[in-house]
Amino acid sequence: MKQEYNFSRRFFLKTSSALGALAFIPKGVKAFYEEVKNFIVPKKEQLPLTISINKKSYAIKADTRTTLLDLLREDLNLTGAKKGCDHGQCGACTVHIDGERVLSCLTLAATVPGKEVTTIEGLANGDQLHPMQQAFIECDGFQCGYCTPGQIMSAVACVKEGHTKSVAEIKEFMSGNLCRCGAYNGIVESIQKVAAQ
Amino acid sequence: MGFFDEPYDLPTAADGRVEGVAKVTGGGKYAAEYKVDGLCHAVLVGSTIAAGKIKSFNLDNAKQVAGVLGIITHLEKPLVPGLADEAKIKEARLGLAVFHTDKIFFKGQPIALVIADTLEDATYAASLVTAEYEKEPAKLDFELALKNIQLTPAGKDRGNIEALNSAPHSVEAEYNIKAEVHNPMEMHATIAEWKADDKLKLFDKNQGVNNVQRTFAKLFNIPVDNIEVISEFVGGGFGSGLRVWPHALACIMAAKLVKRPVKLMLTRPQMFHSVGYRPAAWQKIKLGANADGKFVGIHHQAKNGTSVYENFNEGITRVTRLIYHFNNLKAEAATVPLNLSTPTWMRGPGDCTGDFAIESAIDELSYKLKMDPVALRMKNLALEKHPDNGLPWSTNYINECIEKGAQMINWKDRKATHSQTIEGDWSIGYGMAVGAWNAGRGTASAGIQMQKDGTITVQTAMTDIGTGTGISMQNIAHESTGISKSKIKIELGNSNLPPAPSQGGSNGLSSIGGAVVAAVSALKLKIAEYATMQNEAFKNAAAADILLSDTGVSFKTTNNHFISYTSLWEKNNLNILEVEASSGPGAERQKFAFCSSAAHFCKVRVNRKTGKVKIERLVTVSDGGKIISEKAAANQMSGAAVGGIGMALMEEQLTDERLGTLVGNDFAGYHFPVNADAPIIEVAFINKPDPNINPQGSKGLGEVGIIGTAAAIANAIYNATGKRLRDLPITPDKVLLA
Repeated sequence: MKQEYNFSRRFFLKTSSALGALAFIPKGVKAFYEEVKNFIVPKKEQLPLTISINKKSYAIKADTRTTLLDLLREDLNLTGAKKGCDHGQCGACTVHIDGERVLSCLTLAATVPGKEVTTIEGLANGDQLHPMQQAFIECDGFQCGYCTPGQIMSAVACVKEGHTKSVAEIKEFMSGNLCRCGAYNGIVESIQKVAAQ
Repeated sequence: MGFFDEPYDLPTAADGRVEGVAKVTGGGKYAAEYKVDGLCHAVLVGSTIAAGKIKSFNLDNAKQVAGVLGIITHLEKPLVPGLADEAKIKEARLGLAVFHTDKIFFKGQPIALVIADTLEDATYAASLVTAEYEKEPAKLDFELALKNIQLTPAGKDRGNIEALNSAPHSVEAEYNIKAEVHNPMEMHATIAEWKADDKLKLFDKNQGVNNVQRTFAKLFNIPVDNIEVISEFVGGGFGSGLRVWPHALACIMAAKLVKRPVKLMLTRPQMFHSVGYRPAAWQKIKLGANADGKFVGIHHQAKNGTSVYENFNEGITRVTRLIYHFNNLKAEAATVPLNLSTPTWMRGPGDCTGDFAIESAIDELSYKLKMDPVALRMKNLALEKHPDNGLPWSTNYINECIEKGAQMINWKDRKATHSQTIEGDWSIGYGMAVGAWNAGRGTASAGIQMQKDGTITVQTAMTDIGTGTGISMQNIAHESTGISKSKIKIELGNSNLPPAPSQGGSNGLSSIGGAVVAAVSALKLKIAEYATMQNEAFKNAAAADILLSDTGVSFKTTNNHFISYTSLWEKNNLNILEVEASSGPGAERQKFAFCSSAAHFCKVRVNRKTGKVKIERLVTVSDGGKIISEKAAANQMSGAAVGGIGMALMEEQLTDERLGTLVGNDFAGYHFPVNADAPIIEVAFINKPDPNINPQGSKGLGEVGIIGTAAAIANAIYNATGKRLRDLPITPDKVLLA
């Protein structure tokens, strides 16, 4: 927790002093951007973090710029959460943080200590698939499968949130998860199936 | 840190696709997800201008970033033997020979590649690379540029198009379609590892591992077998994976430079100019009919965008020659060079674009004729033979597709004139259109490995981009052996497995199905050969007479000669029984013509105040021959219909000529349908086998699902509002202004 505080303060001080300095230096637009870039883009800094993922504690060192998504995929070999845009526009990276659906590409790894992260790898109970995973298989709720982990994590949350009263409501609350194969028929059917259980 | 190395155990089987469990648990590995020791990361730097020349680079800032291992530019790069001089570059026909030119053809064109220990380091360092350019004027506005391009004949004329001038009823109109981008959910990625100076291993996203293998074998002047391409899970393609693109070569060059395995994943904005797109198109149609609705003829003109460094002709007028009797036909086409990356095939290439214009014009003509559009089409379908080459159709059930679709949507509820059904602010209407696709087949190979316990593994190099290749191979193997599905494993998407064509143009299952059947025959004959030692009855037995079960071999007709695998294996001292066989098209291609087809029916609501179009119902009925895996096939068709909604209502790649740039090159700027944009798509099949195309009788579905969908929607909008919208996508502004 202390590390997190230091990181935030340092970043904030650098950024605000940069912006303050820039107000007095009229070096032209190009120079302006160079200054901003030099101060705002965080330099490489490693932070020791203790993160709980799928009820397992990981003590790691992570780059302060690392998103939760890249931490999972590049450092922890948990590649179930997918990178489909890296900008919070597609939902393929959806994981649960403290039980709520969150876009891991918009979440810095440094912000998750103290919280419980659940990824698609942690959804099944050992060999027993989660009912939503089972439903996606039975209803063929995917084609290429790339958006599927994000769809399933959202679908589990969608049921939990109670947004399953009609096809239209399911569709609305699942519209943050894009599927280019267009497997929406099966996705809706899977959610209806689980909601009815 | 031990947890890095923990194997991930997959829960066991469930009812569904062969790879279902891997996909729902996150266990399936896509190209960028393999764990490779010593892996480092590469990030591409794109040109900031659309046309001109690179004068110089400033790499100093990037080089100072801790963790940077190397930077590739056209000035400093490892040798690619196949691109060693101008003549070789030309011969390689790569399109864009990345890092082998100082010329800039489009904005975003890779000018440098930064390789670093971590993704963060590489991304940051790449942001610091700058270049000085000699800028030249750029052309990006398709509609402006097309005016100066001359049309040339596309195929042979039929009859005399002058006949159209005396047709009692005719329609003449222009159609414009904006460029669309494939945007599979998985961004293209490659992991390249040089195992030795002449041995390369690739984890790569593509739609054909053998194509990738051949391309790089040639470029690096090494034997094909020295390149291993693994593409076991492919996160969608839609055509974008049918070519080998610059980023894959860049990644391989990087691995050569830093002598470590390198991963390169395109960013989503890079996806818009790195792996092709469906080009923008302009079309003009003149269509005429007699008073009874019989078509007199058609004049179809089409132009599509291409790049300035390659000529990509989409073949927009091909479909004009396929569906109807047009005794008088003239087709003309041209390409329009632009400062954009080269377009490529995208789902239903050419036909999807051409069909929109034809099917819109036919709908318009039906109102002039005061004839039901279903009846008008029925009257003019070429159901007996291919209108161009004169060969009889092997099977063509497009008429049955139309009949079934009309029934499913209650076509009789449609009003014969427009703007008849109003509910509050909403106008309601019905529309329909058909599509067809020349059904192909390529030569493919499959292998089978059999264990003593009767388990078989069916193998092919063909990818499964989500179409259901795996489960279909399992179904065909089950059908032709008699062995339970639970004992049939599938391995695919790996160049070490028996070779197969790329998965595109609805040819995947059509090609691999025959290979599986051939491999099963080979397996039966091999087993019979061994069985002969125990029972003479098996001598020279025909594969068709042999039945395999979960436990042993026998004759189909009688069980008397049953021999268990256990005894067969023991008597012959067998370990794993292996067979491989190929199968491909033959003489039937000279005797018959082949096509898949579909009919699309749509009910829309159009809001008169906002211009919003809501698809209330969308029905798709298709003739793809025999349906091998019903759920996967239905998924293909409903997915294609969703793609059709995108084409009709929202997908457009905008450009800005002044800035020389694409506009909105991410998912905030480029919209394709989300879940709420599509209704539950209603899908049905004719499901009659084609007896000639391949042993399993299936004709391929991927393309016909989207050919005609956009026209069905546009035609429904006309029926609802009286507004004939000929430019795609039909965004609310166009509806309001029409």
